[in-house]
Amino acid sequence: MQFNFNIILSNLPALLEGLKVTLLSFTIALAIAFPLGLLLCGMRLRKSGFAARFAQGYVAVFRAIPEMVMIFWMFYCLPPLVGFKMSGLTSGSLALGLVSGAYLCEIFRGAVQSVANGQWEAGNALALPRPAIWLRVITPQAAKLAIPPFINHMTELLKGTTLLATIGVAELALRSYVLGAQTFRYFEFLTAIALVYFVVIFPVARFAEHIERKLAKATR
Amino acid sequence: MEIFAGMDFSAIWKYREPLLWGLLTTLWMSFAAFFMAIPSGLLLAFGRLKGGWILNIPIMAFVDLMRFTPLLVQAVWIHFALPVLTGVTMTATQSGLLALTLHVSAYICDIMRSGISAIPRGQWEASKAIGLKPHVSFFKVILPQVWPLVLPALANVAVSTFKLTAILGILAVDDLMKVANRVNNMVFRPIEVYTSAALIYLACGLALTVVATWVERRYGSDRLDRIAAERPAPAVIVHNDRNGN
Repeated sequence: MQFNFNIILSNLPALLEGLKVTLLSFTIALAIAFPLGLLLCGMRLRKSGFAARFAQGYVAVFRAIPEMVMIFWMFYCLPPLVGFKMSGLTSGSLALGLVSGAYLCEIFRGAVQSVANGQWEAGNALALPRPAIWLRVITPQAAKLAIPPFINHMTELLKGTTLLATIGVAELALRSYVLGAQTFRYFEFLTAIALVYFVVIFPVARFAEHIERKLAKATR
Repeated sequence: MEIFAGMDFSAIWKYREPLLWGLLTTLWMSFAAFFMAIPSGLLLAFGRLKGGWILNIPIMAFVDLMRFTPLLVQAVWIHFALPVLTGVTMTATQSGLLALTLHVSAYICDIMRSGISAIPRGQWEASKAIGLKPHVSFFKVILPQVWPLVLPALANVAVSTFKLTAILGILAVDDLMKVANRVNNMVFRPIEVYTSAALIYLACGLALTVVATWVERRYGSDRLDRIAAERPAPAVIVHNDRNGN
């Protein structure tokens, strides 16, 4: 068997085009998920009421349904329901963003709840107004705790963008699959993109593990 | 809302049997992959802990490769690129199952590794001291203590295994998602078809999540950290001292 990895170099522009779509959908999904996660987290942290229950239900539903199913549902069902057309990129990224919002909500909530109760009490004892306690006492500490799981979820999200291939969005995975089918060089193309994902995700995930270890040592 | 008035779920009802078979395929594949991944993950974890660097490096590379590349890419790679290397062609179900098992076993390897290393060293030493062979002490002394520690994490992996099966539809594995696609191609009612499929997935996913939450509450989510933090466990030392060890 002869391997010809030069074929990847000659098709590099098409692959870079795919990488652009991958990054674009990642950015859209993150832009939806981050504020959504913060909002849901704020709602869930309330002790009772409709908002808390809504956020709880949202998180349960969006974590139980596979991303694939959500992407297909958004792609086929949302446009007729809302009455305007959406590209696969838009609806797919929207689905990824809505699912990620649920996960980020849980990450943020876990971080806020890990901040020691005494911090709230100290803030109250100093008669700081509630917004000041949130912004200047709790959030800085919670943000630090949330960094490792947040980065880990970002790697999951990047892996999730490959699912857009199934609704025909020409991102990196679909492009290399199609190029492999056209040239009968599956091995070269598929190995190359697997390595691309690995090379991007591996250092990021290791960095998150490093921070996690440092935080564990600092808080012990 | 004329769009709701125009909905017709009878077409879905007509195709209930293929959809049921799709659901069974999904469930069957997630169970098979999960229960094959447990022994292989355990084996990998064992190699990682006891294997020395010759086993360590390839296992580490495998686990990282599986965890840091998307399952979709892995499944397509195994189905289309691996036959080029090995010359053996596999059916979609075989390669899908293989990809899912390998992917999940990498996660289980990490869980098992932290579970096994959370068991205090004194347990190994004690079983050696009473003359147990290494494999007996692993299976009869260490492993029974590992299960309760790792069960919550394993339950979460079981839920994500179920969710990951939906990806295998791209290899023409006839799971629920693929069957839904096929039914939609015949009846052209995307809203009804995909909503039904999503609801079935939701019901199964929620049921699994409830089980996972129960397991997590039963065995405590932070038990692993707690035991790792207070290593060596005081109870074991007290017991040994009383026997004059």
